[in-house]
Amino acid sequence: MSRLRVGLVSWAHVHAPGLARTLAALPQVEFVGSFDETGAAHDGRTHPSLEALLKESEAVVLASTNAAHRRYTLDAAAAGVHVLCEKPLATTVADARAMLDACRDARVQLGVALPVRSSPAMVALKDAIESGRLGVVRAVRATNPGQYPGRWFGDRREAGGGAAMDHTVHVADALRWLLADEVVRVHAELGSFLYGLPVEDCGLLTLDLSRGAFASIDCSWSRPQTYPTWGGVTMHVVGERGTVDVDVFRQSLTHYDDAAGVTKLVGWGDDLNTLMVGSFVDAIIAGRPVPISGEDGLRSLEVVVAAYRSAELRRPVAIAEVA
Amino acid sequence: MRSVTLRIGVIGTGFAGSTHARASIGLPGARLTAIAAATIVEAEPLATELGARVAPDAAALCASEDVDLVIVASPTYLHAEHVIAAAKAGKHVFCEKPIARTLEDARAMVRACDEAGVRLAIGHVVRFFPEYRRAKELLDAGALGRAAVATLTRGTLPVGAARAWYLDPAKSGGVVLDLMLHDLDVLRWWFGEPARVYGKRLAGGGALDYALATLRYEDRPIVQLEASWAEHAGFRTTFEVRGDRGMLAHDSRAVAPFVVQSPAGDAGAGVIPAPTLRETPYRRQLRDLTERLARGEPPLVDGREGSRSLGLGLAVIESAERGEVVRWTVPA
Repeated sequence: MSRLRVGLVSWAHVHAPGLARTLAALPQVEFVGSFDETGAAHDGRTHPSLEALLKESEAVVLASTNAAHRRYTLDAAAAGVHVLCEKPLATTVADARAMLDACRDARVQLGVALPVRSSPAMVALKDAIESGRLGVVRAVRATNPGQYPGRWFGDRREAGGGAAMDHTVHVADALRWLLADEVVRVHAELGSFLYGLPVEDCGLLTLDLSRGAFASIDCSWSRPQTYPTWGGVTMHVVGERGTVDVDVFRQSLTHYDDAAGVTKLVGWGDDLNTLMVGSFVDAIIAGRPVPISGEDGLRSLEVVVAAYRSAELRRPVAIAEVA
Repeated sequence: MRSVTLRIGVIGTGFAGSTHARASIGLPGARLTAIAAATIVEAEPLATELGARVAPDAAALCASEDVDLVIVASPTYLHAEHVIAAAKAGKHVFCEKPIARTLEDARAMVRACDEAGVRLAIGHVVRFFPEYRRAKELLDAGALGRAAVATLTRGTLPVGAARAWYLDPAKSGGVVLDLMLHDLDVLRWWFGEPARVYGKRLAGGGALDYALATLRYEDRPIVQLEASWAEHAGFRTTFEVRGDRGMLAHDSRAVAPFVVQSPAGDAGAGVIPAPTLRETPYRRQLRDLTERLARGEPPLVDGREGSRSLGLGLAVIESAERGEVVRWTVPA
């Protein structure tokens, strides 16, 4: 079996350690190490420069700040290296378009790390919708709340925004995929209520899709310190012939830990990073289009950008106004 | 009105009418005397069960000598006619929520009761559900700090053919005035008046109705509401309030203290299952009203308060129909 040589660019993102472990464990991957702009050393080989890492990689996973996605993607494309980019794809539509253009011109693939599509519960929902069992899906109430990740996530320059930039795209992308439809209009109420940040930590979005379905997304960093897990992803789906509840991370044990003085949930469901990175790598090896493309990343980013515009203007905003 | 015992007449024998009528049985200082429905035949079974007489129709019940308090639990679009008739006959009125289908009707009802010098109470019963009361106590005590983001959901089975008027949004207001109105009233009770609303609902009304609303308070919180007539597994409520010092969460599916299973299947999954409490919220609501009437005090939720919650529900519907944000100003 041929293995793909994959490197990790940057450790700025909270997901970086998990992605590194995933790359080290996947049988179809030869993890060639990482580059960290801070110069810190990590498990696996640490390369002194981005160029050194790109030279040994056929693909890279970007785990940098959001704002750095554009720069690293352009460098990787110029080196002929495929890119799996942490979400959101970029912090502006212009950056995202530049990334798509660069990868297309260099004939490398651009993928986005959106693990929710890999969830077996989401796949079951997709199957139920496509089988017609639910009838036409008319409405969805979705949530993707979490804890405030700290670091640069509350820095508008590095992150591009707050909770809405961090969490909207998981559900927006899953909705586009599940309903095989596009978001056309967005309403949002945002607020900085919990952590004294210059960016929003609470957000409620409402989306219109082109064929008439509507959906809401709670993207708030609203899970308290004492909450037993980081957050979650849920969907309440109303079809004309059936209603479905999906709770992606429901499969867990409750651990009452006297030693640590906490109660926490210990997940035992399928590891979504393994499935998500694995499907990207498999597509590259097979020469197929990657399952979640740069185009998909741009579409879900447009939802976020429209949400910020909506919150500012206090009215719903059409995607066409921001695309 | 001078009678020591408050004599109660009920108009309507649907879910609300039968619930209130049953809640009145054994209530200290009160006695159920008469029941009216659209037809005598519809009123008879409940009247027989509860030992009350059948009034020929709503107007006759309102005019009855042996009625001091009229409970109006007719279809929403008939509330104004029945409440005004009761007021003109000098009776206190308890009216099921929503107070009316339109604010014009609601205003006329409030005016009629004011002019007649009778009390008008509106049945926003969720204010008597202990989980919502306990949450209010915690919120008022500052247990969560300042509320930042909240979600409240309420769902039940699709409306059956037996309640056909429900399926006509012009008569009932659909799922927004049936279910979401409860949570809009809860929000006003917990947090005061919001600044603006954005609503979405399925077009066309009908048995499958579903609505979402986002509400914004001038500063905070922001709130997501869901109301569903597509909860095929049966009645469910949830709420979650996150403040800057903590979070409260409730799910009615997770708090049943008494669950029966048998080879005959689940007998408990009704439209709205009875809560496992010594005193049901409906009984508590009626007791609160009768005690206030005896003391000469206004009801907890009066006609003006019920009108404000109705107005907020109508703002959600207006927003959904126009596809725009609607600013909320308290109706005069």
